[in-house]
Amino acid sequence: MTNKLQIKRALLLLAILGAAFAGLGYRLVDLQIFRHDELSAKAQHNTQREFRQAPRRGDILDANGNILATSVAVKTVCADPSLVGNQPDAVAHVIAPLLQLNEAALAQKLTPRSFVFKNSNGEIVTNELHYVRLAKNVPEETWQRISAALTNLTFGVDEKKLSRTNREFFRNLRQHAVFSQADQMRVYPNGLLAGQVIGFPAVEETNVGGRFISKIVGCDGVELTMQKPLSGVAGWRVTETDKAQRELVAWRDEDVYARDGLNVVLTIDSAVQHIVETALADALQKHTPKSITGIVMRPRTGEILAMVSLPNYDPNKSSSITPEARNRVITDVMEPGSTFKIVVVSGALNTGTVKLTDQFDCEHGHFAFAGRVLHDHEAYGMLTVKEIITKSSNIGAAKIGIKLGEQNLYNYASDYGFGQRTGIPLPGETRGILYPVKQWSKVSIAQIPMGHGVAVTRLQMLQALAAIANDGWLMRPMIVSRLQERDGSVVQTYRPERLRQVISEATSRLMIEALKTVATKDGTAAAAALKNYVVAGKTGTAQKVENGAYAPGKYISSFIGFFPADNPELCISVVMDEPKEGYYGGKVCGPVFRDIAERCASYLNIAPDPKLMTNAPPLVVENINHGNQTP
Amino acid sequence: MAKNRKHQTASIRFGPALKASFLCLLIGGSAIGFVWQKNEIYRLGQQIRQRETRLAQLQNDNKRLGDQITILHSPVKLDQRAKELNLGLAPAQPLQVVRLDETPSPAKDKNVSRQFTQRPVAGLTP
Repeated sequence: MTNKLQIKRALLLLAILGAAFAGLGYRLVDLQIFRHDELSAKAQHNTQREFRQAPRRGDILDANGNILATSVAVKTVCADPSLVGNQPDAVAHVIAPLLQLNEAALAQKLTPRSFVFKNSNGEIVTNELHYVRLAKNVPEETWQRISAALTNLTFGVDEKKLSRTNREFFRNLRQHAVFSQADQMRVYPNGLLAGQVIGFPAVEETNVGGRFISKIVGCDGVELTMQKPLSGVAGWRVTETDKAQRELVAWRDEDVYARDGLNVVLTIDSAVQHIVETALADALQKHTPKSITGIVMRPRTGEILAMVSLPNYDPNKSSSITPEARNRVITDVMEPGSTFKIVVVSGALNTGTVKLTDQFDCEHGHFAFAGRVLHDHEAYGMLTVKEIITKSSNIGAAKIGIKLGEQNLYNYASDYGFGQRTGIPLPGETRGILYPVKQWSKVSIAQIPMGHGVAVTRLQMLQALAAIANDGWLMRPMIVSRLQERDGSVVQTYRPERLRQVISEATSRLMIEALKTVATKDGTAAAAALKNYVVAGKTGTAQKVENGAYAPGKYISSFIGFFPADNPELCISVVMDEPKEGYYGGKVCGPVFRDIAERCASYLNIAPDPKLMTNAPPLVVENINHGNQTP
Repeated sequence: MAKNRKHQTASIRFGPALKASFLCLLIGGSAIGFVWQKNEIYRLGQQIRQRETRLAQLQNDNKRLGDQITILHSPVKLDQRAKELNLGLAPAQPLQVVRLDETPSPAKDKNVSRQFTQRPVAGLTP
């Protein structure tokens, strides 16, 4: 009997234990197998964190390594209002002066609140707000002061006497309620210098899990066209954190460093840019034109050393940029006026249609052609081709054009690059207007040689002149020289690019001979002559076109030239839109050209023309090895 | 059983006791070692993190100071400063520049490469 009872009891116990183990087994299988994916994701979510590592945007440097644009590490100060609790005023009181913000507005931002949103299932959910942004572009030093101020913050209570929950609240408030995110700010240390070439930035923000990730993007100039190499590639880190959100380094899973953006080195020389900007600013004050532009280019390579358009803008103040401050060198077109005569004369010389000594009757200033009367600014009789350039005779140029022929004129204009973009890596470049021959009127062949009926950009015009200075070879204008790493190692070099030979070397020499006469007392730009260098150039004065008709009293004045004429080092363009106090290109732009050229020659140490140095005191150099030289 | 008790000696058997102690020490030591190792990993992790932060900060400072030097050397700033200080500086005029003719001299030793002596004079602009 006893045995039976004992056996029963043992069996019962066994059954209970068996059932318990079966229950545990089922639970184990349920957790580890059936709900494995869900639970492991939940576990990962609790501990694993992914941090994005933003790349540093590359710098923009000038040809000599001077910084034109750089990125500075700053902080974005944020807060979690849910951790601030009933202390927003105390926190705001401490950090508002450091952030230079209004205390009441800051306290308002720090006040805990909820927000309503629709989740992925379409349900309306109320959630506590955990993220507000207090200030952007806060310097590192300021953030350290904020951090120290919060750590030392007291709330007028003896925290040792508080309950554990309350103590934890104050600890979280000090350590986690206000936090910072690494960010960067674009800085242009030279302010206005080359603003339009460099461009300006904007901040693009993406919302990732309720937090904003900002990225700097270029909006104009090199910042825009070189966006990709400047941006770099973001990195990331997958890791785990402890309860206090401190990273557990041993649990780092993926750790991919961000690749910083490349530095973009321009062909622009800050000193030359500064020279041109100051010279144009003086001219702007004197002649008060609507706008004034200047370009300095090396004719042999197409490298642009300076590109200025006034009014300009300061990229540091991107919110105040107006359309008037656009880079007119490439965005605006104009009728070139007499500067376009270099195209027709060089074309005619190259084809052998004319020689420099050939004479044309300039009809004493009035030439009737195809129902129109063409005028010269002075009544000229017989002029040689060279004199037509010297005096800038419209009638002479028209007659050369007629002799050259429509198709030839079009071909040369097209070969010089008119009607096409130069391909300079800057945004907003226009093609200009060069109609095909079939769209020409009867008078076009007489008008185009004097720079009417075509529209060009300032850069196209200088590119054409640079081709004459470069033995007839048309070069693609260069603004970016190379891409390099932060340590200076070169990643990519942009070489000067020869596009085509428009005219022969012999023709270019003839053209230079003719252009040398412009900056003389007989020419139209005596004011552009330099003391120690022979200048070759051409003036231009074009009436402005408004609403399809020539506007009386409104001119675009220009002078383009290069020096030393026989060994060209620099090509310079100066163009004024509606100048006052005179409007002839040689009169208003010539002196500006001279100012720029003299200062650039001094800075770049360009050897003076030996022919013009005959009056110089003799230089005696005795035994240069021993340094006994007398300048 | 009784027989065994009857013959049981009063003395302690050291062999099994030592074995047991050794086993306890081994297990205890391993446990302490494991915890110590985990602590060290955590501590070193924190140190790595702090040093990484410090390194990033120093790199930023280095970049900032380097930029500052470059900016102070920039032609625009130098020009501004020269004007501010009213030093009366002006660009050198062409006549004030001493130019030396760089006529190449023939190499004395025929075995010496003439590459540099025969090189034409390059443009004078930088």
